[in-house]
Amino acid sequence: MSPPGSRVACLWVPFFAAAATERCEPPLAERALIVVRGAPPVTRVVEANAAGREAGVRPGMTESEARARCPDLISRMFCGEGIVSAQHALLEAALAVSPRVEDTAPGLVHADVDGLRRLFGDDGAVAEHLARQARAVGLPARVGVAGSRTVAGVAVRATGGRVVVVPPGGERATLATAPLAVLDLSAGIAATLARWGVRTLGELAALPRAGLAERLGPEGLRVHDLALGRDPDPFTPYAPPPFWEEAQDLDWEIADLEMLGAVLDRVLERLTARFGAAHVWADTLSLRLQLATGGRHERTIALAQPACERSVLATLVRCELATRPPAAAVTAVAVSARVVRVPPQPGRLGQPPAPRQRDLAALVARLTELVGSDNFGSPRLIDSHHPDAVLLVPFAPAEDLDSDGPRPSSSVVLRRMRPSPRVEVAIEDDRPVHVHWGSAVRRIVACAGPWRASGEWWDGRAWARDEWDLLLDDGTLCRLALDRRANQWFLDGIYD
Amino acid sequence: MLARGEITEIVGRPSSGRTSLLVDCLREATRGGGVAAVVDTDEAFDPSAAARAGVDLRRVLWVRCGGRRDVALRVADLLVRCPGFTVVGLDLGERPPRIPLTVAFRLRLAVRRSGSALLILASRRIAGPGATLAVQTIRRSLEWSGPRGAPTRLARVGIDVRVLRSRGPWHGRGEPGATRWWTA
Repeated sequence: MSPPGSRVACLWVPFFAAAATERCEPPLAERALIVVRGAPPVTRVVEANAAGREAGVRPGMTESEARARCPDLISRMFCGEGIVSAQHALLEAALAVSPRVEDTAPGLVHADVDGLRRLFGDDGAVAEHLARQARAVGLPARVGVAGSRTVAGVAVRATGGRVVVVPPGGERATLATAPLAVLDLSAGIAATLARWGVRTLGELAALPRAGLAERLGPEGLRVHDLALGRDPDPFTPYAPPPFWEEAQDLDWEIADLEMLGAVLDRVLERLTARFGAAHVWADTLSLRLQLATGGRHERTIALAQPACERSVLATLVRCELATRPPAAAVTAVAVSARVVRVPPQPGRLGQPPAPRQRDLAALVARLTELVGSDNFGSPRLIDSHHPDAVLLVPFAPAEDLDSDGPRPSSSVVLRRMRPSPRVEVAIEDDRPVHVHWGSAVRRIVACAGPWRASGEWWDGRAWARDEWDLLLDDGTLCRLALDRRANQWFLDGIYD
Repeated sequence: MLARGEITEIVGRPSSGRTSLLVDCLREATRGGGVAAVVDTDEAFDPSAAARAGVDLRRVLWVRCGGRRDVALRVADLLVRCPGFTVVGLDLGERPPRIPLTVAFRLRLAVRRSGSALLILASRRIAGPGATLAVQTIRRSLEWSGPRGAPTRLARVGIDVRVLRSRGPWHGRGEPGATRWWTA
């Protein structure tokens, strides 16, 4: 049961086996595809993609029957390792948005998105972000956000949209019209409810709970809870494994190393997409090849430096295979990587690594979107005695160190107020005694000054000011400045 | 005080030395060859004071958020995900927003992945158990310079750093409770 006020996102990839196969071979998305299981020639359809379903192919059909309906059909054997890889990719996509993620079922992941509003925006923006992350790892996920996992799951199944948000308080309305089929009920319960004439979750929720318990037992209570939008089980957080794996079965045997390299390229592309989503690098690669003779060819490649680029990893794998080729043709490949979370760029000797250029380019683009291009950069001091004489230049970290000379001592710095607010100051014996700032009046306990400064009288932008360091009666240590040309007082900032 | 891969909170009253402690960390990072970022919610960062304190401004990314706290949090989230920043200073000023626990742990997960040190400066603690170290600055004494009876400038300030929460070893210079003097 989710606590009141919580927000949960449900990532659901419909027809997950077909989606996982398309993820391995993206061109198949444009063709009618079926995933089959069983020993040839008696293979049965497990799932079909959208084009296959349009042609009338349904799960449970024999492959021959499916081909009779759609002669151009492409079939692939059900690959358990591919499903596991796709599920891990989906989980990592969700982990890139929320630290609390639950591995519910193949193609179904829940994420706790409570409190992410400040980072991404409203629930719709969070859902869009989750959908984008899933798409980045090759999975067309639908995302629903609601107050509980059950409602989010029902909403995303019952509506056809890519993203659906159930506002707080709208759970009952969402559940009321949803058909019972969205709950994945057991055949017995579904048949009983159909016999009773119950078609929607709203009708099921309206049934007396005690009566359901008497007639259907604990399963009846569970189904009633689901119809009310309650989560029957606690949230079980997912912990990512130390090794990340991508695998692919081959429909044909490959003996040629060039062709095998092309297959491994695609496998590594999927693996590195997952690295990118989670900001991790591979430290060690393990290559596992299933041979046509029934044996296995296993190699481990220890990387000299953590890497996440597909081209780098592919080159290393190709070199390893060229040095120690497999003894027979290959029927399946799997690549697993031990991931580390350290930046791969060592920088100069003795220096911490700096951000890479491409990371900086992406960062600058995002910052421009968030705060505008005028509001970030590297501060550069202008050669002037004028206070706060600074401009922003594009951020490009210097490579040389500015650590020569004596080590500066710790300094008290000013928290500037921009623009400096105008204040009224009461003077006694040529020294300030009270400060009026808005409606507040503060007594000055101690003061130091005036510290006179002036400049730029030679080019028409002349300025002249007296600075005072003040300790106010509330303990605040601040700096006031008297603009001598305008005879006005300003609060420069607070020492902190 | 730079605990890389962890969140550190610096809290205290105005004029207690919080910002000076943050600038001290920026100096440690940039003089060691690292790259630092300052997420400045209220545009209070003073680059000239930071340069006087020894910060290499060429290695500092300054992001001004115009008082928008939600934007500041998003920017901080973005920066801690970008590998290569030694320190990310998030200055939330006197009116820090409430951060849900989920967000705090998300930030902690991100800094652990990127290896950055996230320093959050605010008037009160906001990261809860997401922070590995939380310190409070307390001003103990003041000294003025110039003629006795008519000083002309603030000379230096004595500041204590008190540890409020610590889940790891102390990385700061000297003992955490000892008074340190900072010149104006």
